[in-house]
Amino acid sequence: MKSKAIRNVLTTVGLPVLFGVIIFTLWQTKVLHALFGTDEIILPLPTRIGSIISDNFTSMLPQITSTLIVALGGLVLGSILGYFIGVAGAVFKKWGMAGLTIVPASNAIPLVALAPVINNWTRNLSGVVDIRSTVAKIITVTIFCTASMSVNAYRGLTEVKPFSEDLFASYGSSKLRMFFKLRLPNSLPYVFTALRVSVPSCVIGAVVSEYFAEQVIGVGRQIRENIVKGQFPTAWAYIAIACAMGILMYVILLIVESIVLKNRRAR
Amino acid sequence: MLNKIKSSKGIVTAVWVLGLMVIWEICAFIVGATQRTPINVLPHLYQIFGSFFDPKPITGSGDTIATLVFSSAAETLSRALIGFVIGMLLGYALALFMNLSHIVEKIAFPYLMIIQMIPILGMAPIVLSITGDISSARIVIAAILTFYPVSTNTLAGFKSVGRERHELMKSYGANKFQLYIKMLIPSAMSYFFTGLKISAPMAITASILVDTLQGGNGLGCMLSQSLKGSMTRFVFWDIVIFSAVIGVLSFYLMGVIERAISPSKRKAKKLNNGKD
Repeated sequence: MKSKAIRNVLTTVGLPVLFGVIIFTLWQTKVLHALFGTDEIILPLPTRIGSIISDNFTSMLPQITSTLIVALGGLVLGSILGYFIGVAGAVFKKWGMAGLTIVPASNAIPLVALAPVINNWTRNLSGVVDIRSTVAKIITVTIFCTASMSVNAYRGLTEVKPFSEDLFASYGSSKLRMFFKLRLPNSLPYVFTALRVSVPSCVIGAVVSEYFAEQVIGVGRQIRENIVKGQFPTAWAYIAIACAMGILMYVILLIVESIVLKNRRAR
Repeated sequence: MLNKIKSSKGIVTAVWVLGLMVIWEICAFIVGATQRTPINVLPHLYQIFGSFFDPKPITGSGDTIATLVFSSAAETLSRALIGFVIGMLLGYALALFMNLSHIVEKIAFPYLMIIQMIPILGMAPIVLSITGDISSARIVIAAILTFYPVSTNTLAGFKSVGRERHELMKSYGANKFQLYIKMLIPSAMSYFFTGLKISAPMAITASILVDTLQGGNGLGCMLSQSLKGSMTRFVFWDIVIFSAVIGVLSFYLMGVIERAISPSKRKAKKLNNGKD
């Protein structure tokens, strides 16, 4: 039994790692280049990308923090806004429901169409380019993150256990009390479901909104600028950083989720 | 009774849409009164729609805005569609393989998780320089973005089939092919369409984004050219509205196709209607 468990772990971890190692070797030995028909300049070797990151990390830091501020700011604002829309939908059933059918549609609006519009709107906000550009980017990410949270919050607030509403009513609890004691706790797992969608998309939103921003800063903008300048290895280094940011934030989310929802699962 | 409920829900949605339009118009009036160039910030909706049907040509070759938007949309959206279909087929095939073979699942599943966290759109410029051709870059990015939602959702659909149903099929003496055709594929259908609903707007976004990176002919190119001021600003607004509408429509289109081809959805709808 025990050996079976060990074997299970070995295959679960070992096989993907092995696959990764194979890809890495193919890349490093330039087999991938032959396959895609590119050269080392456009698709640099992984070791070269790694050395660029380690050599220039201090100069990359301002770009990384700028993107992080936009991504996290948009994520937090979007999630809060989305949750309140969900609450509004749960409170005003008839009108809220239909509103909620419109909100996901906003997710279907291409980000590329949204970012320039927001840029236009914030143009007169402040004389300082840095401030108005950051605000524009954060608003774009906010809109991008709202929909999944609002839909999931609505479901979490309304899909309570059968008869629990009746139970609360039989205890003579007020609507407000029912909201805080029943609906709010019930929505917590749904909030994390929403975050699993919006955490990766907030990084995407930040990167893409930087393409259109006035201010030339951020990981996404650096990817584009470096490609325009023909410095592909540097662009790849920023791509690697963007990927690492997405993965890191997701891992942090999973850890937080496991801590917050720990008691729930035990029950 | 039935129709009444249906139409009342439609009315509620319509009121929302109208309300948003009213808010837009009010903002447009405020902007029009306070800004020097209201067209750049927020033109009136009627101006945008009017410009779309304006018969006056805006380019040297005699295109009106409408023909310009449609010709660039055909260019961009056809590539998005090709990428979408390729990504859909690949994603479905991978989900099938992952469900058929444990080894494939163990290898591919962690990478499917990881690829979700990677900002693929951020890689658009590099894909463009690897492929060297804007059309194939559009197809590749749209395919990648379609591929993983379809794959993960379809796999979840295959896994959602309960053990007892597997056992029932086994007791009927169904072989593997019949198992998939009769049970797994139909029951995974709604999950598959969930994936498609996520990825259809993304494929369009991706295709437009790739456009903005390089000159040429496409929605994104026209968008950025209009932003830079090389043609009237209404081209920008028309494309924004157009791509928003297309994005939303692509989402609903998937729902329509789903309802048309999946038998379980039709049945569920009938049951619901019966309840009303």
